Amino acid sequence: MPEARLHYQDQLDALERNCLSGLDLVIASLDRTMEAVEHQDMELAELVIADDDRIDGRYLEVHQEILTMLATQAPVATDLRLISALLHVMHSIERMGDQCVNISKVIPLTGNDAPVHDEMVDRILLMGKQGRSMLSQAKKAFEGRDVELARDLVRQDDLIDNLNKECFKIAVRVGEEEDIREWAMTMMLVARALERIGDNAVDIGEQVAFVVTGLFREFEDASHPGQAPLPSS
Amino acid sequence: MPETADTTKEKGRSNMATDLARAAKKAVTRGGDKVERVAKRFSVKDVNLFYGDFHAVEDVSMTIEPNQVTALIGSSGCGKTTVLRSLNRMHELTPGARVEGEVALDNQNIYAPNVDPVEVRRLVGMVFQAPNPFPTMSAYENVAAGLSLNRRGISKSEKDDIVEKSLRGAHLWDEVKDRLDRKGSALSGGQQQRLCIARAIAVEPEVLLMDEPCSALDPVATLAVEDLIEDLKTRYTIVIVTHNMQQAARVSDVTAFFNLEAAGKPGRLVEMDATDKMFTTPSKKETEDYVSGRFG
Repeated sequence: MPEARLHYQDQLDALERNCLSGLDLVIASLDRTMEAVEHQDMELAELVIADDDRIDGRYLEVHQEILTMLATQAPVATDLRLISALLHVMHSIERMGDQCVNISKVIPLTGNDAPVHDEMVDRILLMGKQGRSMLSQAKKAFEGRDVELARDLVRQDDLIDNLNKECFKIAVRVGEEEDIREWAMTMMLVARALERIGDNAVDIGEQVAFVVTGLFREFEDASHPGQAPLPSS
Repeated sequence: MPETADTTKEKGRSNMATDLARAAKKAVTRGGDKVERVAKRFSVKDVNLFYGDFHAVEDVSMTIEPNQVTALIGSSGCGKTTVLRSLNRMHELTPGARVEGEVALDNQNIYAPNVDPVEVRRLVGMVFQAPNPFPTMSAYENVAAGLSLNRRGISKSEKDDIVEKSLRGAHLWDEVKDRLDRKGSALSGGQQQRLCIARAIAVEPEVLLMDEPCSALDPVATLAVEDLIEDLKTRYTIVIVTHNMQQAARVSDVTAFFNLEAAGKPGRLVEMDATDKMFTTPSKKETEDYVSGRFG
């Protein structure tokens, strides 16, 4: 790249760093959330809820930076696509932060001595691990403008989706006791939030493809499953 | 023989006049934009432009569609103004300058031997960088100047009508209608430029060439001229040279990017495409670097 508009390039780089490091905030929040789930730690869950302000704050900050860039630098071409993508990514980050909050809010509902179905808990903890790994992968794919790595998120997301379905099957036949059924219902809310985090990671991957190719296509079309994924190129 | 050449010349002219009349009768809606009159299409084929021994522009081929605004962008010296001036045979007015290749307005090669350059310049009007009204003439006379040359014997009332229509067309009528006898040079810069546009459209050209029409204007006058350009494309084919990339992005439908490989090398057409594509996903890295300001 010829050496020109250095200050502008610095601003763009800083904006991207600020946005993508929002993913690190989500990873930290998810780690605490899963620990709170595993140990039914209500204090930790409260901390997750309080700390979500940091993610929301980052969202507002990046949003304002984007408005300023658009107003003052009139970005075009790849820069414009990058800025548009960062706006989407930041929105996904904010949503994932909210999913951690959603999970943390239901933890107290299970009570201190909730009956626990180990098979279901194992799957939920696996979903959390898988979500964490997808967040790292999404960040790496964005930073490296790596469309293949971004596209692989779909395969990773299938694992979370399958675990979610397994949780559902377990919940359906979890038992007659009201307590365990209530616990299983609550855990389904947790599984659902984790499943959404996986979807948001895929959304970030789609933005990687948009920055690189200029084409926006959903990797997997939820309304037409099995059809029209992005042509590999 | 001179007689034969003259006859052919007349024939060439009358063909262009017939085409013009035919086009003027049509009023169609195309591409969502209301088209009041179908203007003409330029086809530029393998054009090379020279100033003496200096090869200024190399192998340019492009189609400039009617009733659209085509912007020519590129850094100084890339040949965009030279290309623009070749579209109404103004390039050849520079001593030693020459043109190779074909420039056709619809199907008529404007460089064919039977074509009168004066007629070409009537069909292809030009608006220059600095507003250049005839300084001693009134606003009215400025607009009517071309009419007096092109249509001898035109009546006063017909002239009045055309002057009003042209000034309205240039979004200037309301500002000058009460002082049409004042000198054109007494108007503000933005008004002078719109006066020049009114003068250019008074002779009902097919194409308007604009060479940085806003570079001498303030932002308000610039936006007024840009609005005018948007309106004018319903009747004319417009080609605009601009250094202001945001202006190209705002006013044009198609953008053509010119560049040169190195100083002293001829300019060439790098990429030409729909303006929104050129400014969001250009195909060439060279275009990307230029539109995003990474040149230098």
